Formats: sequence, C-alpha cells, structure tokens
Amino acid sequence: MIELVGLKKSFGDLKAVNGIDLLVPKGEFFAVLGPNAAGKTTTIKMIAGLMKPSAGTIKVAGFNVQDEPLEARSRMAYVPDFPFLYDKLTAWEFIVFTGEIFRMGRSEIDSKGRELAERFHLQDFINKPIEGLSHGTRQRVAIVSALLHDPEVFVIDEPMVGLDPQHARIVKDVLKERTMTGMTVFLSTHQLSVAEEMADRIGIIHQGQLIAVGDREELRQLSGNDGALESAFLTLTSEDSQEVVAEPGASS
Amino acid sequence: MKASGTIEAPNAFGVLARANLLQVWRRILAIRSQSRLLTSLIGVFIIGYWVLSFLLFQKALKFAGAFPGLGTLLIERMIYLLFAFLFALLLISNLLIGYTNLFRNRETAHLLCLPVSPQTIYRWKFMESTLLASWAFLFLVIPLLAAFGIEQGAGPGFYIVTTLAIFLFIVLPAVAGSAGAILIARFLDRRLFQVLTVGIAIALIGGIAIGMKPDEVTDQMLETRVLVVLDRLLANTRLALFPFLPSYWLSSGVLQWAEGARSAAGFFLGVLVSYVLFFGTLAFTRFGVPFYEAASAVRSRSSVLGRWKFLQRGLLRNRGPSYRRGPIEGIVGWFFWLPSDVRSVLVKDIRIFWRDTTQWGQSLMLFGLLGVYILNLRHFSSQLNNPFWIHLVSYLNLGACSLNLATLTTRFVYPQFSLEGKRLWIVGMAPLGLTRVVRAKYWLGTVTSLGITVGLVSLSSYMLKMPPTRIAFFAFVIGVMTMTLNGLAMGLGTLYPNFKEDNPSKIVSGFGGTFCLVLSFLYIVFSVVILALGSPWRPTVQGPALATGLVWGLFLGVSFLLGWLPGRLGKRQLRGLEI
Repeated sequence: MIELVGLKKSFGDLKAVNGIDLLVPKGEFFAVLGPNAAGKTTTIKMIAGLMKPSAGTIKVAGFNVQDEPLEARSRMAYVPDFPFLYDKLTAWEFIVFTGEIFRMGRSEIDSKGRELAERFHLQDFINKPIEGLSHGTRQRVAIVSALLHDPEVFVIDEPMVGLDPQHARIVKDVLKERTMTGMTVFLSTHQLSVAEEMADRIGIIHQGQLIAVGDREELRQLSGNDGALESAFLTLTSEDSQEVVAEPGASS
Repeated sequence: MKASGTIEAPNAFGVLARANLLQVWRRILAIRSQSRLLTSLIGVFIIGYWVLSFLLFQKALKFAGAFPGLGTLLIERMIYLLFAFLFALLLISNLLIGYTNLFRNRETAHLLCLPVSPQTIYRWKFMESTLLASWAFLFLVIPLLAAFGIEQGAGPGFYIVTTLAIFLFIVLPAVAGSAGAILIARFLDRRLFQVLTVGIAIALIGGIAIGMKPDEVTDQMLETRVLVVLDRLLANTRLALFPFLPSYWLSSGVLQWAEGARSAAGFFLGVLVSYVLFFGTLAFTRFGVPFYEAASAVRSRSSVLGRWKFLQRGLLRNRGPSYRRGPIEGIVGWFFWLPSDVRSVLVKDIRIFWRDTTQWGQSLMLFGLLGVYILNLRHFSSQLNNPFWIHLVSYLNLGACSLNLATLTTRFVYPQFSLEGKRLWIVGMAPLGLTRVVRAKYWLGTVTSLGITVGLVSLSSYMLKMPPTRIAFFAFVIGVMTMTLNGLAMGLGTLYPNFKEDNPSKIVSGFGGTFCLVLSFLYIVFSVVILALGSPWRPTVQGPALATGLVWGLFLGVSFLLGWLPGRLGKRQLRGLEI
C-alpha cells in the first residue's frame, strides 16, 4: 500500500505539491488525474524516491521511502513515461539485468520472464537490441521488467503512450489481474477512459493539491455534474473551481 | 538515510558492471561492423599520433638535454610542469564529467528507483566518470613517457612502475573532481556557496594574472645574461614543485626511478599509494549518502538563482504572456532581402544554439583560449624580429585558428542536417525545400565563423606587427578556409545523415563525422604547408620553395573542390531522400 501524509514539494517559490494526504490500500488500482503541471509527476517521483519531499512522509508497503529506501524500492516498481533502457542490450538481457538487481534467482527470472514476455507478445523481439525496437515495444519491455519481481506496489506514469490497442488491452488486463492478487497500482494518466475503466478510485490533483478522491460516481457527485468523467474532471479543475473538495485525509 | 546492505542484491555492482561492459562491447562491435574504413581511419590516427608525438617529444628532450650544464634540470622541470598541468586538466575534466554522469544521466535516475544502494550506484558512476575523464590523459602521456624512458636509457622496470604510478595518480583528481561535483550539485543554489565560488574564481584569476605576469626579455639579455633569464623562467614555474601536489609525487617518482634512485622513487610512490588508498576508500565507502542528497537537491531545484529575491522579483514582474518579437528576430529581420521562411529557419537555429549553453560554452572556451594566446603575442613580439620566426608563427597561427575552426564545424555544422531529421515533419514539409534549408544553415555557419576567424587571424597578424598587405593576405586565406570547412561539414552532414540520434556528439562520432574531421585536418595541413612554402614573403632559408602561382592555384582549387563537391553530392541525395 501507499501512504502519503502532509506531502509537500516546493521548487523555489512554486509549490508543486502542496499538502497531499492519501492512503491507497493493498490491492487497490488508484489512478491520478490532473491538468498539465498539476503536480502528478512530482508526486510520483517522490514516491519512487527520486525526489525528497519538502515536508511530509511517504510509506510504500509499510516502509518510509526516505528512511528505508531500499526496503521500499525492493517492494515497488516504477515505470516512468519515457523509461530508461540500455540501448545496446537485448530485451531479454535487460529483463535478466532487472531481475538480478531485484535479487531474483536465474531460474525464477527465466520462468517469470518467459511467461511475461509471452503474455506481452515480446517473443519476436526478445533477442533484438533495444535500440532497434519501436516505442511501444520498448514500453512493453519496461513493463515486463518492472513486473518481473512481483512488486507489491506498481507506480506507472502514462502507461499507454505508444501502445497499440491490443497491447494496451494486455497491460490493462495484467495490471487488473495483479491487483486481484494484492498488488497496489498507482497510475498517472491523461487518458480519462483508462482511469474510468480501470481504477477502483480516482484522485484529481490540481495546483499541487488533491482536490478530489473517489470512485467515478463519487467524483460526479462532488463535481455536481451528471455527465461522463470528463465533465466531472473539467468542472473540478476549471479555474473558477478554487475550492478543495476532497474529504480531509482522503483516506480509503 | 539508513544504509541497507541486506536488501540490495549481493552482486549489484557486478550486475551493473556486466550490463554496462556488454553495452560498451556492443558499441565497439557496431563501429567495426558499421565501417571498416572508419575503424582503419581511427587506428591509423591513433598510431600516427603516437608515432609523431613520440618523435616530437624525443626531439624536444634531446634539444633540452643538450643545453650546457642545465639540460637535466630543464627536462626535470618540464616533466614537473607537464604533470602539474595535466593534474589541473584532469581535475576539471573529472569535475565536469562527474557532474554530468552523476546528476544529468538517465541511467543514474533509473538506478535510483531500483533497490541498489546509492553507494553502489556512486561506486559504479565514479569508475565510469574516472575512465571517461582520464582516457585522454593516458593517451597523451604514453608517447611522452616512452620517449623519456628511451632517452634516459631506463630498463623495463621503469615502464612497469610508471604505468602503475599513472593509474594510481588518476584516482586523486577523480576523487577530488567527484567530490567537487557533489558539492556543486548539493549547494549550487545557496547564496553563500555562489558568493564563495565567485570570490575564489576571481582570486584565482587574479593570482594567475599576477603570478604569471610576463617578464620583459630583450635580445641583449638573451645573448649576455642567459642564466639570469633562465633563472627567472624557472622561478616562474616553481608552483609545479609544490610538495603537496600529487603531480609532484608522480613526477618525482618517475624521475627518481629513471635515474636509478629506487629508494627515493619508492618514497614518492609510497606517498602516492597512501593518499590514493585513503581517498579512494573514502570515496568508495562514504560518498554514497552525500551523492543521494545531492541528486535529490538537483531534481528539487527550480532555479540556481532562486534564493536571490531581488532577481526573482524582477522575473516575476516580467512574468506573463509576451507576443513581442525577440531580439534575434529583430536582428535577422535586418536581412530584409532574405525570404521570410529562410529568416525563420535562421532565427530558429540561432535560438537553439544560444539556449544550448554547452554548445556555445565549448566554442567560447576554444576560441577564448586562442584569443588569450593571440593577445599574449604582444609580450614576446619584441623578440620576434627575425623574419623566419615571424613567418613561422604567422602560419602556425593560421593553422591553430583553422584547426579550432575544423573542430567546431565538425562538432556543430556537421550534425545540423541530421538534427533536423526528427523535425522534418515541419521543416521538410514546408514549401521552403530542404535544399534551401541546407543552404541557409551553411551561410549561417559560414558568416558566423567568418566573423571569428577573420578577426582572430587579423589580430594575430597585427600583434606580429605585420604590414596591412600581409594582414589582408591572411584574412583572405582564413576566409577561404572558413568557407571550405563549413561547406565540407555541411555537405558531408547531408551525405551521411543520422536521423535516429538527438545527441549531436553521437551523430558526429559516426563514420561521416570522423571522415569530416580527418578530411578537414588533412586539408588544413596541406593548405598551411603549401602556402608557407610558396609564400612571397618567405625568408631565404634552406628547404624546398614552391612557385607562388602554383601554390595559389592548388590552394584555391582544393578549397573549391572540398567545399563544393560534398554539398553538390548532398544536394543530389536530398532529391531522393527517404526517411
């Protein structure tokens, strides 16, 4: 699970994240939405341990990301919007590398890696250098590597970028299946349809604050809008809507 | 942050090393399979450099060693000076490469999200940065030390000990550079740090300016009081003998060993080993946590000058949408006869160049150094009364300026067309046409570089107190060479485009870029040599002389061919270009 308490991040005078409290319980699929520069990626980077919060704490799978970073990271996987991959390695070599870094044995890497590679239709690309792969295939390699060690928490930024509908479906299915077995998913996206279809709860970040949290129905009610999620999102994030409408604590 | 060794994979460093070494090995294989010609060219250049520099060093050592009574002292001082300068260069190189590799590297960011301790990441990145920052040093000193060893008649032990000592030596500037990079990354936005850094930089520059103030040496002094002159020269280089400099320990160790004083050499090498062990252990066991803190600080920083409130207030005042024409648009607008689409490409290219500080920073450094050298010509122009030396120095200046230009045209002009690749959806589809885009880029590069090269060469000729006709001659020659080198780089860049890469330095490192650099260097050597040999002002000394008319014909013909032909072939390629 993921626990954010009083999370703040400032860049000089700019408050990119301004006091987020959130609890995403084990096995929940949580999607975070927000306009550009709302603070979504900053929040994700703090969860991944790439940035230190200016204030507040983050716990991943029960471990404080700042005080026990390795314990937290070993239970987590993070896939950024443009993931780093070693260009001169083959897809399989990269998967093995990631498995070894997560202390997996070779036989475990082999069995889980093959299973995931087949699930994500990577067999034809598995021994090809990453530099020659398309953006979508690279994205699939990154997701397979991240899922390999069965993370308890999966943090992903814009997962569907570059994926064709078939592979986007596979990603959605695999993530949903994993949440059934207890993996917590924290997903950031601009694709409202993905959030609407997949998420158990949706959070909306606007101007560094979590202004709304709930399932689709709750968000519609909060926005006072009966239309689709898009209408609720547009109403909640409009410049006129200054009021923070999330419940205090925004916990599950 | 708590260090945790139990969660991290037991061989995390080995896994990292294996992945990266595999990458390097594949890159080498890719170069080999990409072009045998490129591999051969690189091989020939490496061997050629080693042979040539070995011969030059040997000649220089022989020349200095033959100085009556002072030969050994001069050679020793040269070695001390050389290693002191190389130490300073290594320090700067490690600082810059360390900063980029630790804090501006995507692999580092990726690794920081994995269960790999910051200490392990730091260890790997430290080793990588040290190798990247020091390979050129190793490349440079190999022929020098080989020449020195042969001149001293040293046995095989000398080469083994020297090799070990050099590998130990590079650790110290690497640790210092890396520590400096961490400090900068961690505290760069602190006002106290900025004030202190600027203060130290000013003090250093002032100290160098005062300490290195040139002495007036007249011809009479050179003839009658040569020992006094030499003594002053040696006194000015005493800094290299500072006993706490690692370069002093290395130089002393190498010199003592060559002279057969093994115990003295052992002492200096022992000092080197102990410092390397101490600082190496410190870096390998203690720098991980400050590295992580600094990495987080770099990502959390909005602006380096963010803590200066008055600057922020100024910026805030100006904040808000602006639809006004920028100053670059205004300047390019003066060229009213150019079509608006061509002007638009020029404005875009100038803006991109200006906003990429590493690009103009490198140019500034290269030409700045040349400018400093040329301005300093005035200090010894009083000794340059001999027509032979004036002749030689003027052509050497022409060579230095054009070599600098060749590195710039290869680094900046050559990749221009390739860099347009990913933006071809807009530029390539516009009615402007790719041929005109290439032509606009060529003229932008040529006009900009003409301003610099003609200025520098004219200034150097003026400093050498040459008459206006000769100044005009050199200005014309460098003008022709500038147009040729720009044409060559632009033409080859169009002939061998690489649309997959965004990084210009990676585009340049391919076959076309290497070929461009080699051809540029050959052209410069050819032009400077034949122009010097066929110069109408050539002093009557021994050596072959060429007819001035023939030389001019050759120079202009080769310049035209090299500047025009690649562009012509590139233009033909553009017509059938498929992306």
